[in-house]
Amino acid sequence: MSADDPMLTSHQRRGADLPPVVVYEEVRKLFGDFVALDGVSIQVNQGEVMCLIGPSGSGKSTLLRCTNALEVVSSGRVIFEGKPLPSNETEARKIRQRMGMVFQNFELFPHKSTLDNVAIGPITVLGMKEGDARARAMKLLDKVGLTDKAGSFPSSLSGGQQQRVAIARALAMEPDVMLFDEPTSALDPETIGEVLNVMKQLAEEGMTMIVVTHEMTFARRVANWVVVFDHGKVVEQGPPEQIFDAPTCDRTRDFLGHLGWNG
Amino acid sequence: MTLDWSIVWESRYALAEGAKLTVMLTVITMLIAIPAGIVLAVMRLSKSRVLSTSSMCFVEFFRNLPLLLVVYWAFYVMPVFMGIEFSAFTTGLVALSLNVSAYNSETFRAGINSIRKGQTEAAIALGMSRGEAMRKIVIPQAWRRVLPVLASTWVSLFKDTSLVSVIAVGELAHVAMQIRSQTFRVLEMLTAMAVIYWLMGYPQAKLVDWIRKKYEVKE
Ligand SMILES: Nc1ncnc2c1ncn2[C@@H]1O[C@H](COP(=O)(O)OP(=O)(O)O)[C@@H](O)[C@H]1O
Ligand SMILES: [Mg+2]
Repeated sequence: MSADDPMLTSHQRRGADLPPVVVYEEVRKLFGDFVALDGVSIQVNQGEVMCLIGPSGSGKSTLLRCTNALEVVSSGRVIFEGKPLPSNETEARKIRQRMGMVFQNFELFPHKSTLDNVAIGPITVLGMKEGDARARAMKLLDKVGLTDKAGSFPSSLSGGQQQRVAIARALAMEPDVMLFDEPTSALDPETIGEVLNVMKQLAEEGMTMIVVTHEMTFARRVANWVVVFDHGKVVEQGPPEQIFDAPTCDRTRDFLGHLGWNG
Repeated sequence: MTLDWSIVWESRYALAEGAKLTVMLTVITMLIAIPAGIVLAVMRLSKSRVLSTSSMCFVEFFRNLPLLLVVYWAFYVMPVFMGIEFSAFTTGLVALSLNVSAYNSETFRAGINSIRKGQTEAAIALGMSRGEAMRKIVIPQAWRRVLPVLASTWVSLFKDTSLVSVIAVGELAHVAMQIRSQTFRVLEMLTAMAVIYWLMGYPQAKLVDWIRKKYEVKE
């Protein structure tokens, strides 16, 4: 399914006929006096690829971290699959198991092999048998094209390979939604493509994805919904054709101009 | 002045017993002080004010007192407070353990803090609890940084066990000093003692260097 799927009229947003996966209602997040998120209200539908773009410091990472309760919102609500995020840590842990997160710096576990990095979630968190978890991990390494690196340690992999392992590690929990925080920002240019391809493949399989990125080409081609942040607020949102070809907001134009985007 | 080295040979069994006790004190102290150090470090890093403050007080207290004072303190004060007499060996062990646990706690704390916060967050994002993240992800990585420091502490401890001789624990230093005072062979006994400590300590020091090199963190 892609943005120009003939089944979709240009006004119908992907997943609009299904209950939303994540809804943010007037989310505010303060760090001391500093307002990192200033009343964010957006929703993420089933099967959507939503890209969050905007200048650095505008609150994109904070929103992702509020999604899986790594940060607790100061006011407003985050609703996941119909229920507000629980405030109690044990319940929050159950929610996190259903969300995969991919970090800018990969954060693979350096003392574990690639295979064990992917298997550790199911083993530790789901209590899966080691053999079963490793079999699942192997399938996922195959999916990201890294079966030959199963026994290697993260330090011997390139950045792009490490990030693909990190994606496999998140997928091993069979999440309902994937959160990506600038997954290609720490990569050498020549390995960005391999990571974006894996993400594109996931999107085509119908995974619900929230992606913070500065890769405008990816956002333009793969996202079906783009949200522009500035100073903790959503300044504009819409399908990529609107955001990139006909932005309605000056700040969107400024931001895209800054990145050298000219359609 | 004539030297009579025969006294050293004649005392060989007593000296060997003393050396054995020195090794035992070192080993048992470390066996106590490693888990105690981990517990103290985890307490110190916990979110609970009570746990973290009590750990901090304990550590700062024992880390900043001369070990010799702790040894005397354990000898004279502990029986009064606890109402039981301990053997000299146990008393010495307590004093050494208090001191080394405090040091190890700081070693473990530094080790744990040296692991990037992102590692814990990645574990928590997978759905692990803080405890699981600590046990499966942080502590196994912290070991690499902690091990070389623990090895140095070990070597210091080995030498510091001689301080418990002041409360008549029959370890190497005490035995040698006893023989010296009975035979007045000061130079011979001090030399013998130095040689034995050195012969036992040098390989340990070399081992520490090797561990340092092997576990040196490259990043
Ligand atoms: N833990 C924190 N403590 C204090 N300030 C923070 C914290 N996390 C983020 N911030 C601040 O919140 C703002 C938004 O940060 P972030 O969400 O990381 O922005 P973005 O991902 O869009 O670059 C930044 O100004 C940042 O300095
Ligand atoms: Mg960010």
